[in-house]
Amino acid sequence: MKKLLVSYMTIGYPNEEDYLNFIKEADELGTDVFELGYPPDFAKYDGPLIRKSYSKVKSVFKNFSELISKSRNFTEKKIIVLTYLESVQNNLDEFLENVKSHGADGVLFPDLLVDFPESYSGYIKQISEKRLEHVIFVSPFVPDRLISEVSALSRPFLYYGIRPTTGIVTPVGVGTLVKRVKNLIDNRLIVGFGLKDDDDIREALSAGADGVAVGTAYIEAFEAVGLKGALDVVKKVRNILDEFE
Amino acid sequence: MIEFIPRYWYNIVPDLSRPLPPPRDPEDSNFSRIELLNSIIPKEVLRQQFTAERYVKIPDDVIELYSLAGRPTPLMRAKNFEEALDTPAKIYFKYEGATHSGSHKINTAIPQAYFAKEEGVERVVTETGAGQWGTAVALAAALMKIKSTVFMVRVSYEQKPGRRTMMNLYGAEVYASPSEITEYGRKELRKNPSNPGSLGIAMSEAIEYAINKGYRYLVGSVMEVVLLHQSVIGLEAINQFDYIGETPDVLIGCVGGGSNFAGFSYPFIGSKKGSRYIAVSSSEIKKFSKGVYEYDFPDSAGLLPMLKMITLGKDYVPPPIYSGGLRYHGLAPTLSLLVRDKTVEWMEFSETEIYEAAMLFARTQGIVPAPESAHAIMAAIKVAQEAREKKERPVIAFNLSGHGLLDLSYYQKMEAK
Repeated sequence: MKKLLVSYMTIGYPNEEDYLNFIKEADELGTDVFELGYPPDFAKYDGPLIRKSYSKVKSVFKNFSELISKSRNFTEKKIIVLTYLESVQNNLDEFLENVKSHGADGVLFPDLLVDFPESYSGYIKQISEKRLEHVIFVSPFVPDRLISEVSALSRPFLYYGIRPTTGIVTPVGVGTLVKRVKNLIDNRLIVGFGLKDDDDIREALSAGADGVAVGTAYIEAFEAVGLKGALDVVKKVRNILDEFE
Repeated sequence: MIEFIPRYWYNIVPDLSRPLPPPRDPEDSNFSRIELLNSIIPKEVLRQQFTAERYVKIPDDVIELYSLAGRPTPLMRAKNFEEALDTPAKIYFKYEGATHSGSHKINTAIPQAYFAKEEGVERVVTETGAGQWGTAVALAAALMKIKSTVFMVRVSYEQKPGRRTMMNLYGAEVYASPSEITEYGRKELRKNPSNPGSLGIAMSEAIEYAINKGYRYLVGSVMEVVLLHQSVIGLEAINQFDYIGETPDVLIGCVGGGSNFAGFSYPFIGSKKGSRYIAVSSSEIKKFSKGVYEYDFPDSAGLLPMLKMITLGKDYVPPPIYSGGLRYHGLAPTLSLLVRDKTVEWMEFSETEIYEAAMLFARTQGIVPAPESAHAIMAAIKVAQEAREKKERPVIAFNLSGHGLLDLSYYQKMEAK
């Protein structure tokens, strides 16, 4: 089965034109799902690069929903909007309706299980009622029982964050972690959050991941080289994924 | 019997009832403290810190060194103590004071020094409160044939010259903290030249020193990897209890950062053995009764990632009580969660109460406990007295985390009161 490429990009980063070109071309280069970062008040579980990208777009744009609509014009792939529940919980219905009406297919709140473990099922229901999918984020910090419990609820896949924060490489046993979580779940498994290089990606896929999520590497390439650099990363990761078909 | 030493450490994270909030940076940070850990903590130690494996293999060489350093430690029944308490309860204790460094701290010092040496590091650096951790690091480094530097909280440095001598004997360089040899220490001394020091300050000095010199920093408590290594205590105790055909109902340990309590009790919690788990702290520190559950730094300088834990605040300067090991402001994140969800109960006792407990224990069982460990003894007394009142016969087991033979000045002081 084809391995999935989930491409993360901060909405509007680094500017509107490059952002939209990225969506358009990353789609053509084989992205299967877009994960669009909607700037939260505090991206507490993200690394410095993604935090910086949020600060940058917050200083330029006011209306991120409009940019979701514009993204929709360039891709028919699934769009999952990522933000922190903490930032939107007080007007969640309004937020969900807003992103839905601007073309999002689903949402991902990386703090859902960690910070709202007693009420996560209520939030999932609330998201479903708005006819949006909900990707659930789990990590090595989530107990086995809870990973099993939420695995089947997550749509269109379960997201496993391999490292404690995005873009920061700490020594972890990628293969061991992925094999462990595969045994606990009954769903497609996307691995992300700090995958450091090609070897990490291959190790995750060899251990049974159904795809990978890439984000910081695009932003890093945008910073260093610009749009072309980010698209080269898309190509490279797509090629690795295709080795595993 | 060496067979009692387990082959795997136990990690409680996969068995918790709710997710463990991950370490993170403060809101205004423009760098990653998690990334910083890469340059100060041995790689394998860091990998184990973030593992999701329930069981982590103990390297054969580490098992050998555990054996050399006094493991397995005895599990003993305190019959004479039971009689003195006139209780129907059975009381057992795991005697970590029997290790050569005199406390449980050697259980994580050995693997951390081992993994540091594997990376080719020539010196390890750490802080110490009461001196047990520093002694353990000094010994572990000596066994691995590498050098060690220890920043010792000033109040303990002055109160416990014996500890300092022991560290020097093992070959460690020891500095009173706050010291003049780090920027952080100098800053603290400028603010208050007679600063008694705290574990948080000493930690900050050790980390700064390790970063600037390219050494590796060894962690004494609070972080999950330390609790993982300390699980050797509880796993070993389970093997010993199985051997004598007994199962404890109540597990007790004293708590500074939480590693001896967790190391002793987590394997029991994980295997659903026992029904009460009691963490004991000092009523002079009031970590449980006054601490709040929030993200805070484990070190005063804020160099390490923030952890969500029960804390008195990183800038808290504890009163100079003698139980230096209990003067730390925070509590390990997994233990904080278990206290919050009431899996683990807590108690707090004063220095006077624990002195009485230590005296009774010494007179009935012959062991002079470290004042920290006497908190666990005091809790065992409370539970045993309850059992007498309720006419119940629970099996109580406490972790006697260290001996008090280098704490005799404390006992002299208390005697004089």
